[in-house]
Amino acid sequence: MNIKELLMTMATSLVDHPDDVEVNVVEAESSVVLELKVNPEDIGKVIGKEGKTAKAMRTILSASASKLNKRSILEILE
Amino acid sequence: MTQEFEGKNEEEAINKAVEELQLERDDFDVEILESSKWGLFKRNNVKIRVHVNENGLVNTNSEEIHQQVSSEGDFEEKVIEFLQTILEKMGYLADVQVAYRRDNKIGLNIISKHSAIIIGKKGKNLDALQLLVNVYAGMLDETKRVVLDIENYRIRHEEQLIRLAYKTAEQVKKNRKSKLLEPMNPFERRLIHSALNDILDIETNSEGDGLYKQVRISYRTLGKGKKTQKA
Repeated sequence: MNIKELLMTMATSLVDHPDDVEVNVVEAESSVVLELKVNPEDIGKVIGKEGKTAKAMRTILSASASKLNKRSILEILE
Repeated sequence: MTQEFEGKNEEEAINKAVEELQLERDDFDVEILESSKWGLFKRNNVKIRVHVNENGLVNTNSEEIHQQVSSEGDFEEKVIEFLQTILEKMGYLADVQVAYRRDNKIGLNIISKHSAIIIGKKGKNLDALQLLVNVYAGMLDETKRVVLDIENYRIRHEEQLIRLAYKTAEQVKKNRKSKLLEPMNPFERRLIHSALNDILDIETNSEGDGLYKQVRISYRTLGKGKKTQKA
């Protein structure tokens, strides 16, 4: 699944501990849920100021998922 | 010893090296760092690194050379690769080129058949990509800013906003009824404010909270003797 790799690429590039990045994909018929887990120290990095980075990642994931006519949901796990 | 030179073409760069180092052409080896691959505005600029043969030994250690790649070239390469990887994983094949370098700003141009989706509704996707690229770029070099564009979208969008500002101002003048524009980011709002700044009967104000405020364009009611009243 490419969308998983997409999130992996984005997340690992933005954090200090790329080895700790985990992505779990739950696919449904019309949507795809992506669970992102990062090192606790990196949570702030993937969320960003006022959630800007997380919002940008959601936008990009949606643009990619729309190609498959799906909605994408990004959950950042604590 | 190594040193870098730039020129319109290989020859010019080498001549510069000869002049500055006060050496003969045969006294050093030339490595081409950047040929015309960046295209567009920098088509003819060639960057070379000169390896001066000091002890009769020519430096051919390619690993060392690789590590010494100028930070600027390295930075650009990494940022471009990051953007290209994301676009590719999104499922949209695209090429990325350097459009311009100005002070600490680098303009990247995306070339793709899928420009509509890469731009997104009201530029949403392009803005998201730009933000992510800048977060990444900031980790490499926090002084640098990256601006993304595709098919001159940025300029077209600016022109469109200014046209909208004038058109709305005309309506407001005619109907004497204020109009509220849709939410815009600070840069977009500034365009509207400055476009209408010089129009006498019109005033503009931002309303709302957060990053995306709305501009209200209203008729400036110059009350009796209150001509100096300012918004």
